[in-house]
Amino acid sequence: MSDVRPGALAGIKVVDFGQMVSAPYCAKLFSDYGADVIKVESPTGDAARRMGPFPKDEPHPEKSGLYFVNNTNKRGATCDVEKSGGRELFLRLLRWADVLIENNLPQQMRAWGLDYGQIKDVNPNLVVISITPFGQTGPYAGWNGYDLNAYHLSGASSRYCGRPGEMPLEHGTFAADYFGAAAAAAWGLGAVYGRAAAIAAAFVGGQNIGGYAQDGKFDKRTGVGMPLGAPATILPCKDGHVWMLALEPGQWNGLRKVMGNPEWADLDMFQNMLTRAQNADVIYAFILEWTMQHGKMEIMEKCQEAGCPITAVFTIAEAAQQPHLTARDYFVEIDHPQLGRVKNLGAPFKLPASPGGPVSAAPLLGQHNDEIWGGLLGVGGGELARLRSQGAI
Amino acid sequence: MANAQPLQGIRVVNFGWVWAGPVVGQTLAMLGAEVFKVESQARVDMTRNLPPFGEGKPGPNRSLSNHACWAGNGSIALNLKEAEALELVRRVIAEADVVVENFGPGVMERLGLGYAELRGLKEDIILFSMPAAGLHGPLEHVRTYGLSLTSLTGLDSLVGYKGGDPIPVENAFSDPYAGIMGAFAIVTALHHRRNTGQGQHVDFSQQEVVMQMVGPAYMDYAFNGRVGGPKSNEHPLAAMAPHGVFRCKGDDRWISIAVGSDAEWQALVDAMGKPAWTTDFSTASARLANIDALHFGIGEWTAQSDDRELAALLQQRGVAAAPVLNVADLLHDPHYKARGTYIEVEHPLGFRETIYGAYVKLSRSAPDVRPGPLIGQDNERVFKGILGMKDDEYADLVKRKVIY
Repeated sequence: MSDVRPGALAGIKVVDFGQMVSAPYCAKLFSDYGADVIKVESPTGDAARRMGPFPKDEPHPEKSGLYFVNNTNKRGATCDVEKSGGRELFLRLLRWADVLIENNLPQQMRAWGLDYGQIKDVNPNLVVISITPFGQTGPYAGWNGYDLNAYHLSGASSRYCGRPGEMPLEHGTFAADYFGAAAAAAWGLGAVYGRAAAIAAAFVGGQNIGGYAQDGKFDKRTGVGMPLGAPATILPCKDGHVWMLALEPGQWNGLRKVMGNPEWADLDMFQNMLTRAQNADVIYAFILEWTMQHGKMEIMEKCQEAGCPITAVFTIAEAAQQPHLTARDYFVEIDHPQLGRVKNLGAPFKLPASPGGPVSAAPLLGQHNDEIWGGLLGVGGGELARLRSQGAI
Repeated sequence: MANAQPLQGIRVVNFGWVWAGPVVGQTLAMLGAEVFKVESQARVDMTRNLPPFGEGKPGPNRSLSNHACWAGNGSIALNLKEAEALELVRRVIAEADVVVENFGPGVMERLGLGYAELRGLKEDIILFSMPAAGLHGPLEHVRTYGLSLTSLTGLDSLVGYKGGDPIPVENAFSDPYAGIMGAFAIVTALHHRRNTGQGQHVDFSQQEVVMQMVGPAYMDYAFNGRVGGPKSNEHPLAAMAPHGVFRCKGDDRWISIAVGSDAEWQALVDAMGKPAWTTDFSTASARLANIDALHFGIGEWTAQSDDRELAALLQQRGVAAAPVLNVADLLHDPHYKARGTYIEVEHPLGFRETIYGAYVKLSRSAPDVRPGPLIGQDNERVFKGILGMKDDEYADLVKRKVIY
C-alpha cells in the first residue's frame, strides 16, 4: 500500500474501476509509484479473478495470476453500482478521488449513469481515464470488443506479424491492452500534472502510414524480421531459437568470424544486407546449418563479443532466471494470504529518488470494505449494514 | 475547448535517436512540453534516410516514416564533436527540466554530460536514460535493435503459429511501447520534483519495461513452472473460446472474433444460422477443450463473407468481432477518419505528409500536432531566443559548423 513507502506519486488519489488488463495495469503504474489506489469491484469481482493462471490449474477467485500481477499496492472494496445505494456510494468515492481509471464499454458506463458527462458534475476536477478497445467516439465506439479485436483493427498484425497468406498474429499476450494502458498512463498522469481531464485511449500500432498516403503502395507481413536486410530473423538452433541480426558490414564480418569464416560467406551476393535479403532462402539455409550445431547462449555470447546484435530468444523460464535481472533486483517477493510467497515482476523502471514497484499483494475481494466505506467515507455502521443486506457492498 | 496543455512550460532536451527516444519526445510534445532534439548534419540519424520520401525526392528532411515517428520533437543542430557545441548544449540544459537519452551506458559521461555534471548545470534536472537493458548489470552493454530486444523478455517466445517456431515481429514494437512508457516515467519524476524539489537520474531498462507485458505468462511459470509458447491468436490464458482470426472472402481478408460468455456464444451461433455442429460446443469448457475443431467450423462459415459486412452483422448481435485491417485500410476506415487517428500536415519544406494524430483524446485540450522536424529548425529560437546569443556570434558558429 502507498503508505508503506512514499513514492513519486504520493498524494494522488485514484479509483480503479476496471477489469482484466488495461485499466488495472494502468492503475498499477500509479499504485506502484506511490499513488493511493482503491480498486472497486462488483460483488462478483474483476473478471481477471476467473482467468488464471491458477496454481495447479485449480480455479479460485483469490488465486488468479492475472489478477495478482496487475493489482499490486492497491486497496480493494466491493460495490454494486447497479444498486442505487451502491451507485451513490461509488459517487461519494469519486468526490474523494483525483483520478478515475476505467475500461468499461462506453454504453455500459452510460447505462450505469457513470459516463463522464454525468460524473463531472459530482467532481469537476476529476481526471477520468477511459481505456476502451475503440475509444469513446467514432462509428465503432459502441462495438463490443476485447484486446484481440482492438489489436487486429490497428493494422499491426496484417503488416508485421505472420507468414504471407497465412493468418495475421497478435503477440501471444494482451498486447493492445498493455499498449493502451501505457498510453493512458502517460497521458492521464500528464493530465493530472496539468489538471486537465483526460478521456479515452485506443490502441494504435506503428505502421508506415505516410508512405501509403503518398504512393498508394503498402507492404504486408513477410514472416521474417526484415524484408530489406538479412540476416534479420528468428532461426532455430540446437536448443531453441536465436534472433539473428547482422546488417552493417562490421556486424556481418563479426558473424562470419564466429561461424569460422565459411567459404559460402565469401560469395559476392552476401556482401551487403540488401543482396543478402534478396537471397534470403539461400543465406538462411546456410546460417541454419551452423546455428543447429550450437546452443543459443553460446551463439549470443560469441556474436555479441564479435560486435553483432544477436540475442538468444529466451523462453519465459529463461527470461525469469536471468542473472542480469537478478543483479538489478528486478524481481520482488510478495506475501499473499492465499498464495503464500510469490516471486513477482518488480518495478518497470527505477526512480532512485522515489523508488517504486510492488510492495503489497493484490487485495482480496472486498478486503478493505470497512476501512474505505466506513473509515475513509465515514459511512455509519447502520448504513453499512443496510448496504450489505441490499447487496450493494 | 480551453487549450492549456498539461505539460506547458516543461522544456525537454532530447538526445534520443532512431525511434524509442524520439517517441518519448513525441508523447511529451503532444502533452504540451517544448522538446528539442539535439542532432547534427555531421552525423545524420539513419532513420532520416529511410524511404519513402516527401514528393519522392530523397533527403534527410524528407523521410515520411521518420517524420511520423519524430513529429512534435523540435530540432537544434549541434556538432557535438566540437567543444563549443558541447558548451552550447550545456547552456541549453541549464534552461531545461528534462534530458532524454537512449545511448548505451557511459556515453553521456564520456560526453561530459553525466548526471553529476548535469546537476551542476541545473540542480533539479531530471535525466532520463533508456538503454536496452538498463544502466548496470551483466547485460548492460548488450547489443540489440528495437526489433529483437523483445527476445530478452520472453515475449518473442510467445509469438507464432500454434505449436510452431517463434515468428519475428517485423517492427521494433518495443520502441514505441518503451517510448510511451518513458513519457510516463518522466511525468512521474516531474511529480516527485513538484513534491520535493528534487530531480533524479531515471534508470529505465527497455527490457524490464517490455517484460511487464509477459506478466500473464510469467505467472503461469511462477505458479506452475509451465513455459508457454506460440499459440496463434488463442487467448493468452486459454480462458476464452472462440478467440481467433478467421479467413474471409477476398485476398488476405480476415476477421477477429472473441467470445467471452455463453450469451455471446449463443449470439454467434444464431448469427451462423444455428448449424448442427455447434451443439457440441454449448459450454465454455467444451469450446476450450476442442478449440481447433471449433475454430475450423467458424472459419468455414466466415470464409463465405466479406470481413466488414460480417463484423457489422456480428456486432449487431453483440458479438466482439472486427475486421483485420491492412495498412491501406487504415486511411479509409470511417472510424479512424472520424477520430482523426491519422492526420495530414504541411512540412516546413512545403509538402504534405500523413502522420499520427493524438492517439489519446483529452476533453479539455487538443494537442498541437506538428510535422516531422527539419534538422535545426529551432536553432534561432533556442540560441538567440533562449540563450540570448547575438546575431554575429550565431552567424559565426553556423559558418564554422558548430551549429550544424
